[in-house]
Amino acid sequence: MRIRAAVSAALASAGILLAGWQSGIHLEDTRSAAASTSAGTNGATGTTGATGTTGATGSTGATGSSSSGSGSTDTGASDKGSSAAAGTDSGAAAEPTTGAAAKAGGTYAGSVVQTRFGAVQVQITVKAGAITDVEALQLTDDDRKSIQISNRAAPLLRSEVLAAQSADVQTIGGATVTSVAYLNSLQAALDAANL
Amino acid sequence: MQRISDPRTGAEAPPQPPSLRARTFSCMGTVVSLTLPSASGADELVAATAVVERLFAGLDETFSLYRADSEASRLARAEIKLPDASGEMRRLYADAVGWRLLTEGAFTPERPDGVLDLSGIVKGYAIQEAGTSLLALGLRDWCLNAGGDVLVSGSPGAGSPGSGSDEPWRAGIVDPQDRRTLIAGYPLGGANSANGANGANLALATSGSAERGDHIWAAGAGAGAGARAASGVRGAPAFRQVSVAAADIVTADVLATAIVAGGMPMLDRATDGWNIEVLAVQAGGELLATPGFRR
Repeated sequence: MRIRAAVSAALASAGILLAGWQSGIHLEDTRSAAASTSAGTNGATGTTGATGTTGATGSTGATGSSSSGSGSTDTGASDKGSSAAAGTDSGAAAEPTTGAAAKAGGTYAGSVVQTRFGAVQVQITVKAGAITDVEALQLTDDDRKSIQISNRAAPLLRSEVLAAQSADVQTIGGATVTSVAYLNSLQAALDAANL
Repeated sequence: MQRISDPRTGAEAPPQPPSLRARTFSCMGTVVSLTLPSASGADELVAATAVVERLFAGLDETFSLYRADSEASRLARAEIKLPDASGEMRRLYADAVGWRLLTEGAFTPERPDGVLDLSGIVKGYAIQEAGTSLLALGLRDWCLNAGGDVLVSGSPGAGSPGSGSDEPWRAGIVDPQDRRTLIAGYPLGGANSANGANGANLALATSGSAERGDHIWAAGAGAGAGARAASGVRGAPAFRQVSVAAADIVTADVLATAIVAGGMPMLDRATDGWNIEVLAVQAGGELLATPGFRR
């Protein structure tokens, strides 16, 4: 992850340089105007990958483009070629100024929200004041082995479910039994054994 | 192997089946069992069972459609109108309508013929109220089973009332294809669950078409029960049996019923929208389960 972050940061930096070079806009200006989230080099539709995907705590990355506590912002400024201008330069620990940038457009990362499936963070892309894309930046919990985004029921073999023997259980669940059916039920046997 | 008599010293002893005492009574067309650790004492069990039985009988008197003189029957015959019904009737009706909204119609308090029928929620409500009463009596460790729907508190292995151990109650779920065998198990309560502290599921409810599935109307829609007005599942039910473990018994009971009635879409909605575990037995006997049922 670290390597990937570094690579993407480097790519981003290169991208910024290129973009800045081509469009002739000073990065410094952009940064001061939109505080690290560039407002876009070619006018209104800048997209930056300014995100707090530090893969770590919920405190970092709580807002768009905030830097990680470790100082190295591994914010991969959009490595997607689609963005018109890559925004964040790595190393810029800046606050997001959504107000200024919102008008021009850009991408904004939401705060990290704790759900019962783990931490989730979402990023939106705004163009001309409208949300054009929503992307999940973070869908996992650090201390879990797998990313579980859903609690959905999945097919399972009978040998894969929690097993139980009637000798080992204290109660029996099942579709409602009638009083008559109860007589022959496992629950009746358990109750009788405990009378 | 010699059995060590004092369960309080059981920490280092080999695991033994907890010593339990159970009593049963018949109500709402089924049998209700209350099980307590033996250490609670027989008198306490008798008293607790009496409290639970009185509560069940009272609700049955009001809500049974099998009694011609019940309030529910008089409502069904339109002898009284809902606004004039008892507070309890109106409250349960409101709860049931709320669940109909939450389940997008999969659970409904009305029969296809329009008659108000709260039997889909009354038993769960009775179990919940009984559980509240048991806790109010100061009982921390118990297992209440009403015709296959289970609510527990604490642990079966408690050495003495109030001491509690970490051991959960182990519930077995019957195989709908062979009701003499179990298809799965599920731990309920345990680990100081009497305080509701650890978030363990305390309730397990099961619905199915195998036994007395007559209150699940969508499931029977294809079997000659007539066309279902609401857009529901038609034809053969997708699930023979659905078990839902939840923090409370009403949620477990209602959602189990809703999933049987609403099929796969309702199963997905339920697992997405509620913090529950589900084990569903499909028509062909295949299983679907949420991670909590995985061994």
